[in-house]
Amino acid sequence: MSEGKTFKIAVGPVHPALKEPVQLNCEIEGEQVKHVDIELSQVHRSIEWIGTRRNPVQVVFLAEKICGICNICHTLCFCEAVESIAGIEVPARAHYIRTIAAELERIHSHILWAGVAAHELGFDSVMHYTWKLREKVLDTTEYLTGNRIGKAIVTIGGTKRDIEEKQFGKIREACNYYRQNFSRLRDIFLKDPIIKARARDIGILRRDDALSLCAVGPTARASGVKKDVRQDEAYAAYPDLDVKAITPKELLGEIRGDVYDRIAVRLLEVLQSVELIEKCLKQMPEGKIAYESKLAKVLSDVKQLKGEAIGRHEAPRGEVFHYLKMVGEETPYSWKVRAPTYNNILSWIPMLKGAQIADIPIVAASIDPCMSCTNRAAIADGKELGNEKLHRLSVEKTRSLKKGPGSERGNCN
Amino acid sequence: MNELIIYQLASVPAIAALGIILGLLFKGIDRVLAARMQARIGPPIRQPFRDLRKLMIKENIVPKNAVRFVFNGMPLLAVAASITILLYVPIAGFLPLMQGYGDLILLLYLLLIPSLALVLGGFASASPYASIGAQREMVSMISYELPLAVAVASIAWLFSRAMPGIASFSLAAIAANPVWELVGPVGFIGLLALFLILLAVMPGEIGVIPFDTAEAETEIASGMLVEYSGRNLALFYLADAVKTVGFASILIAIFLPYGISGTLSLQGANAVAADALFFLLKLFIVVFIGRVLIRVAVPRLRITQVVKAYWGYATIAALCGLSLIALDAILLAGGC
Amino acid sequence: MKAEQVLASFKKRFKLKEARIDNVMHRANRKSAVPRIWIEIGREEFKEAVGHLCELHPMPHFAVASGYQIGEIIELIYHFSLNYGKPQGEICIGIKTKLEKGNASIPTITGLVPGALISEREIQEMLGVKVEGIPDSRRLFLPKNFPKKVYPWRRDETGPNKIVRNMHKGEKK
Repeated sequence: MSEGKTFKIAVGPVHPALKEPVQLNCEIEGEQVKHVDIELSQVHRSIEWIGTRRNPVQVVFLAEKICGICNICHTLCFCEAVESIAGIEVPARAHYIRTIAAELERIHSHILWAGVAAHELGFDSVMHYTWKLREKVLDTTEYLTGNRIGKAIVTIGGTKRDIEEKQFGKIREACNYYRQNFSRLRDIFLKDPIIKARARDIGILRRDDALSLCAVGPTARASGVKKDVRQDEAYAAYPDLDVKAITPKELLGEIRGDVYDRIAVRLLEVLQSVELIEKCLKQMPEGKIAYESKLAKVLSDVKQLKGEAIGRHEAPRGEVFHYLKMVGEETPYSWKVRAPTYNNILSWIPMLKGAQIADIPIVAASIDPCMSCTNRAAIADGKELGNEKLHRLSVEKTRSLKKGPGSERGNCN
Repeated sequence: MNELIIYQLASVPAIAALGIILGLLFKGIDRVLAARMQARIGPPIRQPFRDLRKLMIKENIVPKNAVRFVFNGMPLLAVAASITILLYVPIAGFLPLMQGYGDLILLLYLLLIPSLALVLGGFASASPYASIGAQREMVSMISYELPLAVAVASIAWLFSRAMPGIASFSLAAIAANPVWELVGPVGFIGLLALFLILLAVMPGEIGVIPFDTAEAETEIASGMLVEYSGRNLALFYLADAVKTVGFASILIAIFLPYGISGTLSLQGANAVAADALFFLLKLFIVVFIGRVLIRVAVPRLRITQVVKAYWGYATIAALCGLSLIALDAILLAGGC
Repeated sequence: MKAEQVLASFKKRFKLKEARIDNVMHRANRKSAVPRIWIEIGREEFKEAVGHLCELHPMPHFAVASGYQIGEIIELIYHFSLNYGKPQGEICIGIKTKLEKGNASIPTITGLVPGALISEREIQEMLGVKVEGIPDSRRLFLPKNFPKKVYPWRRDETGPNKIVRNMHKGEKK
């Protein structure tokens, strides 16, 4: 490559490293990244727009579909906001159940991420191993809620399901499982010389940058910002559990803000979540699981509200933030959902500058990006396409493929 | 004389078929074993055959801006070169078909050709991912060639010294006289080092993790192969499979040329069959260590780290091996 | 610094149109409430107010900017939080500004809080509020071929209603 000549490569939305509707346009010189531009406009889902056309009880179900992995986070935030406006008092037991569900979600998300990170490094054996470990938390979630991923347990004013005394055994068993396997996971990720060579001093986010770019979650904590909504605001059962924001200092003794630190923070948080769940089980109070069990009554309580409120929650990826405004109508007037990746994408730019091409996947993955995606409207050439037109176009495409160059070969079996 | 040529010509397709079948078979075994080590079930062993058949009937797409004849020609070249390797190495106890027409030096060049074909095909496919992949492949080729050349030169030097009068680069001669018997204890350690280096060069040569930077799926979307599809992709797939067998056979011919018929005191057809089976076992062990085990055990390296590993550690180790063999020769000469 | 002190310091320096503290009780132990400060400030003083926040705390955390249109007015709310990192000490503050719909513009705060860039690009395309001095004024979430002069967060004739189809109802005849 001649000196000074750059070329562009696009990572995402159709790239094996970043299967998300986001595009990183990297300007490359030789093997080095000179400049990064982030293009987000791949998919717009209009979830907020749909939400302002449903009543709050319906929006709870919608909020759960914002993100597959963070299904507790968004419902919890939305319910918190509604409860704040309506002045609903959530029973203490429901707070504990919500906390357990949220922590199970964190274990699931972090272990899933660890597998993805290993895959980005080309270490598929570790990916399969970590995902095998993840099965336990999925089984536990299914045992508690009936679903492997979507928990559907949080509702306005409490929870939909109880976690009973006789179910504690299985949860404790899962906790023990992760405790036993934690040291092995830690050794794989933090002691392997090649993972260390690939992750140490790569994708550095300095503390100043983390602060000024408003990074959240493990991304910020790995750079030494002790920021964790569970600690700072202590909602739900967290004030009783004494949560401390985790930085890599506890395990590694220093903070560099690189990919390695972000791996360490997430691994430590798995252990922290296990401890939190165990504490929750020990301290769980008796009582109701919702302030009102009849959905019709809840709906009539929240339909004609006036006021505004925010809901916050520490999701696995960082702080989730919801703003809700009601003006006395059945539906919310304004609903703003802010997921953690929204704040973290800007930190890609300092992380990726000067990195090698080989580092792009792991650095991009290190903030655990999540651009949830279900689209309800497709737009082509400025004209919107309806359902039937889309269907017709698909049929035409299939037919043209059948007529195409492949067909003269005759045999399609 | 004519009969011999006819015999040789007739044998070429047989060896090609054997190489392809063995290569695909070992690919299947590789996938199953890797899957089992990763706590998966994995595909059936015949999956590579199915893949090949499927790819062969798929449409072959040539990108608009590609250099067409290079793009289409390179897969053929890669397969041809890989199969030619097999003609020069002893397989299953038989002498190489083209014995006397080429030696180890030729083999070193033949081993280069499939990689070079990939590089040219990558550059010809007019994709930035493929260009990056091709650049990386060239860099890693330069890296692993150095320890490989040092190791091969050491062996040849050992032969020219210990058995003056025979062609020291001839693989048949090397296979007929196991290297381990030519050295003393110090040289033994040196040879062991060279053997390990060749095993370490193997993943680079056949492009698997940790040295598959040129194809790195998660980084540059399969690199040089990104634009290849259908028949062309199938040919590269095949070339890779055959080259694995070829390289492993070279390793066996140099370091593990032993047969089993002598030990079991078998005669005639039994001896041939036993030796062939034993060769398959050796092949399995070499492929298992040089390909399966290493690719499940470690993550991918960056290209700079690949260069450091081969030029730094592997070359130094190869030079140490050479020095030990030389030292051993001096000791032996002094002892006599 | 307590929430009351933060509010008092704002009251002292600025003319606030609205100032309140909501005490939210969403904790299991119900020993203490979480304060949420809401203030409304004129457009001219808005940037100064963010600057004041930066004096109270070296780097206030900017969460997001939300906004909506009611009648002829566009209301923007910038959500910040102070004192993060202190157990149970974080204070959330929402700074509201009302803008005229016809000629809505607001100065950029990226000089004070660089992380606000994404939110500013978002309100610019979603609400049609011009952000003065924004370092990068391209679209962010909307695709390039999305119609111009359509602002998805608005509820008037410039809103998205015209281009919305209820797909379950099928094609409009």
